[in-house]
Amino acid sequence: MSAGHVHGGPECKALFARLSEYLDGELDPAVCAGVDEHMTDCHRCRAFLESLRRAVAFVAETESPSLPEDLKKDIVSAYERARR
Amino acid sequence: MGPQQDNAALLSRIREDAPGAFEEFVSRFGGRIYAFGMKVCGEREDAKDVLQETLIQAYRSLRELTHPEALTSWLYRVAANACLMKRRKGKFEPEREISLDELMPRPGEGPAAEIPDPAALPDDAAVREDVRRRVRSAVGDLPPAYRIVLVMRDMEALSTQEVADALGLEISAVKMRLHRARLMVRKTLEAGFAPGEAP
Repeated sequence: MSAGHVHGGPECKALFARLSEYLDGELDPAVCAGVDEHMTDCHRCRAFLESLRRAVAFVAETESPSLPEDLKKDIVSAYERARR
Repeated sequence: MGPQQDNAALLSRIREDAPGAFEEFVSRFGGRIYAFGMKVCGEREDAKDVLQETLIQAYRSLRELTHPEALTSWLYRVAANACLMKRRKGKFEPEREISLDELMPRPGEGPAAEIPDPAALPDDAAVREDVRRRVRSAVGDLPPAYRIVLVMRDMEALSTQEVADALGLEISAVKMRLHRARLMVRKTLEAGFAPGEAP
């Protein structure tokens, strides 16, 4: 990539389609290296990737609602009654 | 004992219908299934129904499951079907796949705002709750076919293969929907953090 790289061309579009695979480490090493190189030169893609990474991190950190204890007891009791 | 061996031992007890096996089954998986139902359906009552239907149907059918390593994706498949029954349309297939062009910023279009770094959020309960609410809302606004994949992959930490098995999708379809779901959440969060946007 040249120093005069302009964001939004075919290379950026092709990369855009694979950003999740890149984040998940699911790209072939050669393709991954190509993305790394592109990110070095294209600050817009780099900024976009970082925002996507943050969004994914927020989603992953979402707390799971816990199972109400009374609901668990009700389900077990209902099963035990049906079993008898 | 690792999780796979734990599951194998539990499966043996379930096949024997051993006393306490159902309770152990509920203790091990009930929380995950309930949380999954909440995230996909968004309603407590629906999540409760999903949990009950999944546990009872799964417990009855588990005797036929021969591969303990498939237990997790198998359970999520049952739970996903239970969620599906809660949906009026009765399916998780999108009317059309959302194209990447719709989600790619236009040339010259800058970010509306910067999504904060989760690791750098202030240690303030109100701020954190506000962010959690924004994230829940962004996920809840996703089309169901995309939301269920995002929940399974990014919230429940299932592998791409497990999601594909649970939903009966090709790996490529799971990746495609996950990417679009993440892009949509990113876009919603970015817009929500723009100056002047009410929390």
